[in-house]
Amino acid sequence: MTRVLRLRGLPLTLLLAALTGLSVAPFYWLIVSATQENSDIFAWPPKLVPGGHLGENLATLQDKVGLVRVLGNSLAIAGLQTLGALVIALLAGYAFAKFRFRGRTVLFALLLSTLVVPEQVMLVPLFQMMMDFRLLDSYQAIVLPGLCVPFAIFLMRQALSGLPDELLDAARVDGAGELRVLWSVVIPVMRPVLAALSVFLFLGSWNQFVWPLIALRNPDMQTLPVALATLHGMKTSTDYGAILAGTAVSALPMMVLFLVLQRQFISGLLAGATKG
Amino acid sequence: MSGISRRHLFRVSGAGLLTLASGSALGACTGSGSPSAAGGDADTGKVTVWSWTTAAEALRGVVPAFEKDNPGITVDVRDVGNPAIWDKITVGMASGGQGLADVLHIGCDYFPGYVEKFPGGLADLSALGADAHKDRFAKGLWPTVLDEDGKARAMPWEVNPLGFFYRKDMFDKAGLDPTAFATWDDVIDAAEDFTSANPGAYLIGLNKPASPGPDCDFLQSLMQLQGAFYFDLDGNITLASDEAVRALTIVKRLDDAGLIGDSSGEQGWSKLVSADKVAVSPLAAWAAHYMEDQFPDQSGKWRLTRPPAVTDGGKRSAIVNSTYLTVAGSSPRQKAAWKFVEYALTRPRSMNDMFDSGGVFPALSAAYDDPMYAEERPYYGGQAVLRTFTELLDDGADATYYSGDYARALKLASDAQVKVLVKGGDPQAVLQDAAEQLAQQTRRSLA
Amino acid sequence: MSTAALARRSPAKPRRLTMRRAMPYLLLAPALTTFAVFKAYPILASLRLSFTTGSGADTRNAGFDNYRRLLDDPLFWTALKNTGLILAVQVPVMLGLALLLALGLNSAFVRWRAVWRLGVFMPAVTGLVATGVMFAYLLNREQGALNWVLGGVGLPKVDWLGSPFWARMAVVLVMTWHYTGYNAVIYLAGLQGIPKELYEAAMVDGAGPVRRFWSVTVPALRPILLFTVVLSTIGTLQLFDEPYVLTRGGPDNATLTVSMYLYENGFHYFDFGYASAIAYALTLIVVVFGAVQMKLMGERE
Repeated sequence: MTRVLRLRGLPLTLLLAALTGLSVAPFYWLIVSATQENSDIFAWPPKLVPGGHLGENLATLQDKVGLVRVLGNSLAIAGLQTLGALVIALLAGYAFAKFRFRGRTVLFALLLSTLVVPEQVMLVPLFQMMMDFRLLDSYQAIVLPGLCVPFAIFLMRQALSGLPDELLDAARVDGAGELRVLWSVVIPVMRPVLAALSVFLFLGSWNQFVWPLIALRNPDMQTLPVALATLHGMKTSTDYGAILAGTAVSALPMMVLFLVLQRQFISGLLAGATKG
Repeated sequence: MSGISRRHLFRVSGAGLLTLASGSALGACTGSGSPSAAGGDADTGKVTVWSWTTAAEALRGVVPAFEKDNPGITVDVRDVGNPAIWDKITVGMASGGQGLADVLHIGCDYFPGYVEKFPGGLADLSALGADAHKDRFAKGLWPTVLDEDGKARAMPWEVNPLGFFYRKDMFDKAGLDPTAFATWDDVIDAAEDFTSANPGAYLIGLNKPASPGPDCDFLQSLMQLQGAFYFDLDGNITLASDEAVRALTIVKRLDDAGLIGDSSGEQGWSKLVSADKVAVSPLAAWAAHYMEDQFPDQSGKWRLTRPPAVTDGGKRSAIVNSTYLTVAGSSPRQKAAWKFVEYALTRPRSMNDMFDSGGVFPALSAAYDDPMYAEERPYYGGQAVLRTFTELLDDGADATYYSGDYARALKLASDAQVKVLVKGGDPQAVLQDAAEQLAQQTRRSLA
Repeated sequence: MSTAALARRSPAKPRRLTMRRAMPYLLLAPALTTFAVFKAYPILASLRLSFTTGSGADTRNAGFDNYRRLLDDPLFWTALKNTGLILAVQVPVMLGLALLLALGLNSAFVRWRAVWRLGVFMPAVTGLVATGVMFAYLLNREQGALNWVLGGVGLPKVDWLGSPFWARMAVVLVMTWHYTGYNAVIYLAGLQGIPKELYEAAMVDGAGPVRRFWSVTVPALRPILLFTVVLSTIGTLQLFDEPYVLTRGGPDNATLTVSMYLYENGFHYFDFGYASAIAYALTLIVVVFGAVQMKLMGERE
């Protein structure tokens, strides 16, 4: 690239840098505040350099909400849900993309139609159901309702419809059953999309809030966001440092995951949008 | 991961399919609203208790002695957090009472809602022997735990008589003596003296825009000082009564006189108090310990006196709220649960231990004989503030009927107050609107 | 097509054929089962609930009472108005900004594009609670970092969560912060998928950058634009998270959204029948909006 072109791009580069700054600044503030003493969090002007109280704040958090325990709950729930939803979306997406069968369009539309229904409307019936199954305060209560993710099925269908039929037929001619075709042909080719989708699903599960708030009553079973919101919501609580440290702990793993897997993540996201 | 097994998962989805296949799916689940689903009266087993924060801690302190005195019963107290506890109890009640703990700690604001909207959701404690204790609590409290058939559905635990905490140092500077305030008019008349002596300070801190939540305690206590509330004892709407208008007008006049500081935002009130910008805390008994814990730097500066009356010669005491222990109607071991409730709430010793550790002011009158109530507290300049509160209780207080629609009424009252404080609305007009909306939404009649 | 192909190749194996026919249903079985139990059933159950009143054991049939009551409920209309206002401001602003951002990120002149792309996307991975807690502190009127920054450039303190107008703006601001990067990255991919030849041809025809944008970029992006407009509209119509954590619908109901009101009625007022009716009214609105947008923008296809 020539020097002139670079100069031409300078204002635009600066603008993008500024917008990036606006996007990232709250995180910087969060990380800095997570390391401050309670009394310094509302300092004026705000502290912009990290302090030395992160360990203390995390210890308070462990003491108040059992950080290690709730972190484990969050990980287990998000992991199980991601795995389950991934398998379900793969199978369903494969069926929709590569088979013609009665009810195909109707079923697909039916699945997607739930996007227009507000989530809150399902809370009471879901809760009653979990009661009847005796599943409240269990991982299943959270994992099960999150197994069928219409958007994930949509993404898988989009991605799989790009897969040449010849590839599948070749395997079938060799006598492979459908599951075998899936396992030895589809999955290897789809690995990047599957990786992307899992990040996407993991993120959604990790961040979910209202349903776990209602379905997990036992503090030992709570997820990190629920524990944090509970601590934050108490009118008399003044553990600002601990609350912000916990917030950082809930946000950072997702950011790291995203940084590591950004390519897969973004390409997966696009599989849905661009080929739609 | 240990909690989940493959078999379990399969069993579950199988059950779901069966329910659906049977065709009665809708009936099966929404119909499970039958209340006393699994209620029973076992007198042994493990009793689970839901409470919150310091109250839960206090209750836990009672457990070892109770378990020793009651072999066969173990107690597990869980701090499920406030306000999270309300969502959880509500959903549990809506699902026919299943999934709830055996013993529930419930505030007077939510209690009538649970009793009215979920019949049978809370166990009949009269049948378990609660009536034997009915004269042992602070005056005016027992009627609030009764359902419409006169059965006790709760036992009073905490009672909160209204007080008037003030910063002696700040009033001294202005040459004012708050113990001489007979009515709120006297307080407003002192505005100029107060503000010129304490520039930048306010009398009280109020979350004017109600962000993120309603701040109506002050408004409510002004109504309660007149023996009034959002509803009368028959459940009719009194949100636009003369008393209500008078109360909101006082709030407005205080604000117009520059005496109300805005405490909205994260921990706004605590920050105002810490910054020496608030001279009065019109709070109830629970605050006696709370102020000491929260603002240790202001030791020696606070005092407590009776709240001024709203009208000339009007009452100068009110019970602003109370909390109860209840037994879930769905509990299979109601007798065991009741034993624990009785043990914790009807013995002065355990009540005072809990007061000491959790700041929960006891509703049990016999508790007040303890020497701790006469104790002169250095934080309040050697004043025996707990005695002041028990004296306030001796005056007797009117029962406040919160009704099953309290949450809605609170929301509308809060909206009305915001309209006055933020948008300059007229108290009479905004309350009239609010009362009419409340009538439309709840089908209750206007008193 | 592949079914037919396979059938022709192995005509002598009817069992396999049946298997082939059953295969898509077998593959769909887990999805449909979980869908039926955990999505369809709750949705239908709450539809039934919307025709009842009372709660718990005291649930009675109410016919269309809840829906009638809705029409006379000023708070419902306030909520609808707020939702509409936020939608009208937030979605165009956010998507416009996202498109500009995408154009910038796609420009060959810009350096370190990967870094900027990453940065603007970051907020999208943050959850409701983290966002809410963070902004509750950042938007604090007296000691919030945002007002400190505004003060630094000579602007007065803004009462972000306390004034009805600014509280709405705060919700818009936080939503825009949260989702702009997400949409920008979707647009970016769309832009990268536009064949260079189209631009070259337009340049040969003498089209300047602005005309190239309208005559090449926009038409090529049309399906993606539609996708994001519809998804953002659905999301905003169902808006719950931001007001829930930031303002609880206040002050003076300025940020009360339909979903918030639904939640309040169900979980604070125990009025599950009414809450369900609100949910179905909202669903109807979402469907109508979605259909109109598809019709308007999808006309050409």
